[in-house]
Amino acid sequence: MHEISLVQGLLKQLALLAAEHGSKSVSKVRLEVGPHSGIVIDSFKFGFEVLAAEIDLTRHARLEIVIPPLRYKCCYCGHVRQTERLPETCSQCAKTLLVPDGGDGLILLQVEME
Amino acid sequence: MCDDCGCVSPGHHHVVDVNQSLLAANDALARKNREHIEELGAVAINLISSPGSGKTTLLEKTIERLAKEFRIGVIEGDIETERDADRIRAKGVPVVQLTTGGACHLDAALTHKGIHALEDQLGEKKLDLLFIENVGNLVCPATFYLGEHQRVVMISVPEGPDKPAKYPKAFISSQVFIISKTDLLPYFDFSPEAAIKDARQLNPRLMVMSLSATTGDGFDSWLAYLRSLCQ
Repeated sequence: MHEISLVQGLLKQLALLAAEHGSKSVSKVRLEVGPHSGIVIDSFKFGFEVLAAEIDLTRHARLEIVIPPLRYKCCYCGHVRQTERLPETCSQCAKTLLVPDGGDGLILLQVEME
Repeated sequence: MCDDCGCVSPGHHHVVDVNQSLLAANDALARKNREHIEELGAVAINLISSPGSGKTTLLEKTIERLAKEFRIGVIEGDIETERDADRIRAKGVPVVQLTTGGACHLDAALTHKGIHALEDQLGEKKLDLLFIENVGNLVCPATFYLGEHQRVVMISVPEGPDKPAKYPKAFISSQVFIISKTDLLPYFDFSPEAAIKDARQLNPRLMVMSLSATTGDGFDSWLAYLRSLCQ
C-alpha cells in the first residue's frame, strides 16, 4: 500500500498549488498513471477518497485517472509498438528483445480549483 | 494574487496544468542521496525482495567474504525492530536500522536520515560498498528511487518461479536478479529457467545469478559482480 504515501504527497502538492493561486477548494485532479508505474489504481483511488475527505481543501475533489497505452520498443530495430500485453517478438524484425517504452510515470497533469 | 490571470477574486475557477511527477520530490532527494553516497566513496546497492527471501543472510555471508577487501556499510529497512541491524553489527561493520513504523517501503527521505546516521558512525572513514536492505516487499519498494547505483531484486526457491511475471515492476527497474536458496531446489517444484525467461522478457538487460548463501554455491559470481562495482 505505498499508494497511501503517494496520496499524501499529492495532497501536500495540492495545498501548495492552492496557496499559490489563492484557492480554497480543489474541484478536480487529473492524474496520469502509467501501466508500468507499479501503482494499483483502486488502492490509489481508495486512499484519495479517505485522505482527501479529511481536508477542507480537497473534500469535494474528484480524481480523474488517465492511463496511457502500453508501448514496447525493440532493442534491435527500435520499432515501437502499442499493445495490450508484452509481445513475444517484435512485429517488425521478429527479434525478442523488447523493453517498455515509457509508461512508468505517475504524473499530476491538471488541477481545477475555485 | 493568481499567477495565471492576475485575479484576486475569491471563487475564481483556475485550471492549472502541472505536469509534474508525484515522485518528483522523492527523486530530487534521491539524487542528493546519491551525491552524498559518492562523497563517502561508496557504490550503493538497493536490495529488494519479499520477506524471508534471505536478504540479511546474503549480506552476512557477503560481509564474511569481502570485509577484508572492502569497507562495507549497511542501512537496514524494516517496519519494526533492530533485529536485522543486530545480525549485521555482529559481523563488525557499521550499520543503521531504519524503522518505517508501518510503511511498506523505504523512500529517499528516510534513506537520507540513514546516510547521516551512518556518517556519524563512520566519522572521517570512507566506504566502498553501501548495501541498503529495503523493507521485505516485492511490490512497493520498486516505485521509490533511493539514490542507489544498482538495484538488485531477489526471489528464493520456496517462493516459486512465477514472481517476475506477477511483480514486474521490481524486475523492470533492477539491474541484477538473484535466485537464492538454490540448495532447496531438490525439494521444490521451481524451474529457474522459467523464472529467468519471464524476468528477461520483462528486462532483457537483467544480469542473473543463482546462489545459495548457506552452501556458498554460486556465490563467486555475486562476489565478482560486487568487485567489478568497486573497481
